[in-house]
Amino acid sequence: MKAVAVIAALCLVFVFVWERVDVVRLGYSIERLKTQKTLLERERDQLQVKVSALTAPERIAKVATDKLGLLPPQQGQLFIVHPQPDPPLVATTPAEQLRIARSMPIGGASK
Amino acid sequence: MGPSRGRRYFLLLVLLAGFGVILFRLVTLQVLQAAELTARADRQHQKTVTLEGARGAVTDRHGKVLAMNVEVPSIFGVPTSLDSPANAARSLSPLLHIRREEIEKKLRQDKHFVWLARKVEPEQGHRLEQLAIDGIGMVMEGRRFYPKGPLLSHVLGFVGMDGVGLEGLERRYETQLHGEKRLTILQRDALGRTVFPKGLREQVPAAGQALVLTIDEVIQYIAEKELEEAVDHAHAKSGTIIVMEPQTGAILAMAVSPRFDPNAVASLTADRWRNRALTDTYEPGSTMKVVVAAAALEEKVMMPGSMLFGENGRMIVANTTIHDHEKLGWMTFAQMIQKSSNIGAAKTGILLGEQRLYRYLQAFGFGQRTDVDLPGEVVGLLKAPREWGRRSLASISMGQEVGVTPLQMVSAVSAIANDGVLMKPYVVSEVRDHKGQSLKDILPHVKRRVISPGTARTLTTIMEGVVTNGTGLKAAIPGFRVAGKTGTAQKVDPRTGTYSSAMSIGSFAGFVPADAPRLAMIIVIDEPLGEAWGGVVAAPVFRRVGEQVLTYLGVPRDDQVKIAMVSK
Repeated sequence: MKAVAVIAALCLVFVFVWERVDVVRLGYSIERLKTQKTLLERERDQLQVKVSALTAPERIAKVATDKLGLLPPQQGQLFIVHPQPDPPLVATTPAEQLRIARSMPIGGASK
Repeated sequence: MGPSRGRRYFLLLVLLAGFGVILFRLVTLQVLQAAELTARADRQHQKTVTLEGARGAVTDRHGKVLAMNVEVPSIFGVPTSLDSPANAARSLSPLLHIRREEIEKKLRQDKHFVWLARKVEPEQGHRLEQLAIDGIGMVMEGRRFYPKGPLLSHVLGFVGMDGVGLEGLERRYETQLHGEKRLTILQRDALGRTVFPKGLREQVPAAGQALVLTIDEVIQYIAEKELEEAVDHAHAKSGTIIVMEPQTGAILAMAVSPRFDPNAVASLTADRWRNRALTDTYEPGSTMKVVVAAAALEEKVMMPGSMLFGENGRMIVANTTIHDHEKLGWMTFAQMIQKSSNIGAAKTGILLGEQRLYRYLQAFGFGQRTDVDLPGEVVGLLKAPREWGRRSLASISMGQEVGVTPLQMVSAVSAIANDGVLMKPYVVSEVRDHKGQSLKDILPHVKRRVISPGTARTLTTIMEGVVTNGTGLKAAIPGFRVAGKTGTAQKVDPRTGTYSSAMSIGSFAGFVPADAPRLAMIIVIDEPLGEAWGGVVAAPVFRRVGEQVLTYLGVPRDDQVKIAMVSK
């Protein structure tokens, strides 16, 4: 009986020590992950600034005109169309399914 | 037993003495020196750091980033830990682009800490890490980036080195934008590594709030590009364009020339970064005639067909002569506005009288702030009638003796476009928290009705005539009905105190499409060389900006609407 009590006490002590050590180990692990998160967030912010700079209208206009040789549309070259929304491509009947399948290009969907 | 007993007592005494020493030491450590030793342990185990939440971002109405914070390295030195300041300075000089002598001087100071370069590029930080110089370190600090460069710089403003807003929206919304600052205690182990402290989750300071603007970056770009070209072409001193949504008062673009890059303001002066659209007043000249016309029509002093005599271009008022730019005879009231007759405007003002004219000028928002959410706005100049001279009524009617800001003038013109209702102009449409959740929606604010819808429509027709038959021909946009008014005002020469023949301001204020306005706009060109007429220097800018913005917004041309109606 005494032996069992001693073993139980030792187990409790062991569990307590193990738990304390594990808390510290997890603490380090969390700290590492936090550092990693901070670095990734920093990189994300830097990339966001880059994207924002690259999509600036001034830069796009410069690339379009200087590099690609594009010109603003002249009078009469531009028509604003407000299209009707396309009908859904979900076939309801077998005949409709066949019609859609026939209109599809080989090896791919039509839309 | 005797000797054995004696030994036992001796042993007991020794043990008691030993325990006594231990007890004494314990009392000394735990009681007498407790406070001092606890403090020393805390210093070794804990690190107090100031955590600061990131400053909030600023985006345009479509979520395009205009300003945001990124953490970048700041380089410091610890002179007391350096073996050779000269060697360190030699290595750092090409990296930091600072003279070697300058760095060495800092590193030779009798200090524990000196800044060498703050908020440098991330690449410089990486290279510094590779150098691994003892006594040189870096910390990360938030740096404000304006990724679009000079775009919208006068509205955005900028922040100082310590991250506090100094100009523009950065200053006006400092309270909302800045991140929370909080002192946090971190636990350290024997190697100095940070151990995840209990409850850190609650200690993370909140990031600043984000602003969503009414500005559209594409419209802003169009306005800035055309303004730059116009100012360059006219060799003008400066220029301003404001594009506003007449029904709401939302500002779509606010461009000021010359521009500046808010990423590099250290070498600039206030003259370069002040937002002239609301800090500078000018005598509006003939654009003011639309306000006088609105008052005259509303008060039924004039009808569009009322006849006025142009005095063949010269009229004496209070012993001074008022001139027209051409000799005009009899004309209708509508023609008077279209031809921009000073004499006709003066006669209309005189018929209105001081009190009524003053009342309408105030109603349209002159002589008071528009209360736009930007710092530095001035009230302009509008004297009370008791301070007016004998010529004032005539002068004010043709846009002299009164100082307005471009923002006041575009707001007034917007009121005409908005069926006579004056709106409060605004730049920020929404405040969000750092997770993107909306905290506050800023809604359009009606200031007051200034004229009836009928008067507004009549005046719109007259203003359309300015563009089809009058001084604003160059503002015409093919396929759209444009309403507007040109203005040309001589500036007062600060040396002589009289109107200068060389310095003037050309402007155009109007809206388009006239029948269903989408844009109200003002263009002000300050001190153009050569021809300074508003119809020459500003009206073409209205056309170019209007044409591009209407296309961008997908507003159909009149002929396209007709085609659509026929096809239906």
